[in-house]
Amino acid sequence: MTDPYDAGAPAPQTHAQPHKQAAETEAPILELRGLEKRYGFVQALKRSDLSFRRGEIHAIVGENGAGKSTLIKLLTGVIRRTGGDILWQGEPVGLDTPQEAIDHGINAVHQEVVLCRHLTVAANIFLGDEKVRFGLMQQRAMTREAQRILDDMGFQLPAGEILGNLTIGQQQLVATARASLRGTKFLIFDEPTAYLTRSEAAQLFALIRRLKAEGVTIVYISHRMEEVFELADRVSVLRDGLLVGTRNIGETDETELVAMMINRSLEQIYHKEKIAIGEVLIETKGLSGKGFENVSLSVRRGEIVGLYGLIGAGRSEFALSLFGRNPATSGEIFWKGKPLSITNERQAIEMGIALAPESRRDQGLALNLPIGFNINLPVYDRLSRGPLIDGREEGRLADRQISDLAIKTPSRRVLVSAMSGGNQQKVVIGKWLNHGADLFIFDEPTVGVDVGTKAEIYRLFGDLLKNGAGIILISSYLPEVYEMADTLHVFRTGHLVASRKFHEASHEDILAQAIGV
Amino acid sequence: MSTEAPQKKPMSMRNFNFLFALTLLALLILLWVILAIATPNFGTPNNIANLLRQGSMIAILAIGQTFVIITAGIDLSVGAIVGFSTVTVAWLLQQGVPVWGAILITLLIGLAIGLFHGFGIVKMGMPPFIMTLATLTSLRGVGLLITNGATINITDTGFTEFSRNSFLGIPNLFWMVILVAVPAYIFLHHTRWGRYLFAVGSNPESARLSGVNVPRMIYIAYSLSAVCAAFVGVLLAARIGIGNATQAEGWELQSIASTVIGGTSLFGAVGSVHGPLIGAFILATINNGANLLNVNSFWQRIITGLLIIVIVFFDQLRRRRQ
Repeated sequence: MTDPYDAGAPAPQTHAQPHKQAAETEAPILELRGLEKRYGFVQALKRSDLSFRRGEIHAIVGENGAGKSTLIKLLTGVIRRTGGDILWQGEPVGLDTPQEAIDHGINAVHQEVVLCRHLTVAANIFLGDEKVRFGLMQQRAMTREAQRILDDMGFQLPAGEILGNLTIGQQQLVATARASLRGTKFLIFDEPTAYLTRSEAAQLFALIRRLKAEGVTIVYISHRMEEVFELADRVSVLRDGLLVGTRNIGETDETELVAMMINRSLEQIYHKEKIAIGEVLIETKGLSGKGFENVSLSVRRGEIVGLYGLIGAGRSEFALSLFGRNPATSGEIFWKGKPLSITNERQAIEMGIALAPESRRDQGLALNLPIGFNINLPVYDRLSRGPLIDGREEGRLADRQISDLAIKTPSRRVLVSAMSGGNQQKVVIGKWLNHGADLFIFDEPTVGVDVGTKAEIYRLFGDLLKNGAGIILISSYLPEVYEMADTLHVFRTGHLVASRKFHEASHEDILAQAIGV
Repeated sequence: MSTEAPQKKPMSMRNFNFLFALTLLALLILLWVILAIATPNFGTPNNIANLLRQGSMIAILAIGQTFVIITAGIDLSVGAIVGFSTVTVAWLLQQGVPVWGAILITLLIGLAIGLFHGFGIVKMGMPPFIMTLATLTSLRGVGLLITNGATINITDTGFTEFSRNSFLGIPNLFWMVILVAVPAYIFLHHTRWGRYLFAVGSNPESARLSGVNVPRMIYIAYSLSAVCAAFVGVLLAARIGIGNATQAEGWELQSIASTVIGGTSLFGAVGSVHGPLIGAFILATINNGANLLNVNSFWQRIITGLLIIVIVFFDQLRRRRQ
């Protein structure tokens, strides 16, 4: 891999400024040697070596929780490494603070827009670097200059507009514009196209190619394989916090990359057992509420019902209303054959419904409280003898879930915030196994969870089904619902648009239904 | 030193709280030892009794405040409730209501104020800071209206004697701290309601999705704080023998300071009953000691402020390391 690989680069190094000699171009602009990051006893990034060349587009792929965001945070100085060296243009550097990274010319465009929503586009672009004359800000000059920059980049954006009035995609482009200014030599994109329309994505790709031609090194992190193959010169694969390899883009294909990413066959991960399907647990008829409309479906004992759709398609809103959060406004719910309405969470829990919500951080866990506390939170009324809590029973229940689910922790008294994503998810699940339920709703149960834990979670589904429970599995990751669900319902803009039996339709068919093409 | 123990492996919450309480207690005892050596009067039974009386009322306020702060809220009204309650109880006694009745009615009014806070926060969506700031200023106004700005004297000597007397050599006021603290400790650490307070403070959405009645817990927290404050109002009226709406100025800040010194996090979900208790007596000791050492009372305020910064800073450091 010592030969410079430059295929796909239209006009490298000769464009804009002839600023570097060819020999220098081959030397890495940034080199990682044995880079390592540990959080307590969790290794987020294991001793990794990686080098980035000047003016290349280097894609990084890996599953959720593979260590991509850890790598970004290390490179941008947001967190400090616990081991290894970082060489910037051959010199060892600290990269201990975000400012240090920016001073070197390292910038990032994050997945979530981190700008000031109440300021104008121009103000955001110049934030921290305002044009000032006699101590006063030159508002108009800044707006004019920002507009020139945006036009020059090929972004169709109004510089004078308040940022919050733009779409998320447009805001993302503003963030990109801001990051590519002020002497940036190394620019990291984290899932930049997640919220972009097709034409916005095209504008972004054009800019990325131009930056590359100007000698900027681009690190491109994405789940979308087609983008990686369209843009990148080289691609590196992370798995479970370890860098497993780097390939020239012309010498690899999607199959190889996926194999490197997961390192095991799909059957090993999606372990699906044949389970007898029983009576209907819950049935909805024409159910409508906040964010979803006219949804009719049913879940039976022993069955996994998958709800697939893009974010905001109404799947989570539907599930939340079954759990009594934002109750349905019209339509009918039948629970074990009886019509009723579900008006609050406590009613749903008492009926026998459990919800492991979409966001562990915002909805699922009390992060700064101990593991045992979280596991027992739904059952404290059962743990009480008179007014007092039975402390021994409390400990016993928590320890049982910790050992049953193989939650990695020295004690039930450790705070949840100190754990890895996979273990946190196990706590969310353990909480409801502890309580028990007939219907389990899992909303994105494997986001940010490593492959091994994923497989454990799917295996657990089998155990629940065998005990007569029913499962609603919500996911925006198609292979997951495709391989696990007995019945797969596709949501689009609040409506249930298609229902398919297990493996009845192709991936493409389901995706087309979800996107609406 | 206790700070040396927590290294490497993440420490459990229980150990952490225990060590923190121990460090605070050590600080309090250290202060006592220093003062006992530095001043001839500190160690006298008279002064100790006085110190306990001084610290008792803030300690009870701090316990109530802790319930609120654990839910990630704040109660700025407690000082005003104390002042208002001195007026209420004095006025009721003046009207010939028996002592037990006057106390009961005053506590019930405290409860009503707490429920009103809960209502404003839960139903009207007011931020706790604003809600209790509003009652802080209005309650003082109501108290002044009732008395027309005057002071009501309490003539019932049995009532006022109580606060000056001792039982088993310990001032009655300190017994009142124990009377509040023991049930408060059991409530917070050994009942499900206590657990729910922490859950609401840590993440109300997760608590709600786990079946916790979040609004009810908010009502409970503010009611407990207000009732504690009304109780302190009764004790204060007994101690000074008058009812006056301007009494207990700034006590809300002292109660918050005690709570925070006692290891309670203003971000919620971290706190105990014993911590704020010790915190209150640390503050009382500093004031008492400063008086004995003839330190200018203006300096006392400055020292108290600096102490808050130092103690909370060390607490933050340790939490971060954890």
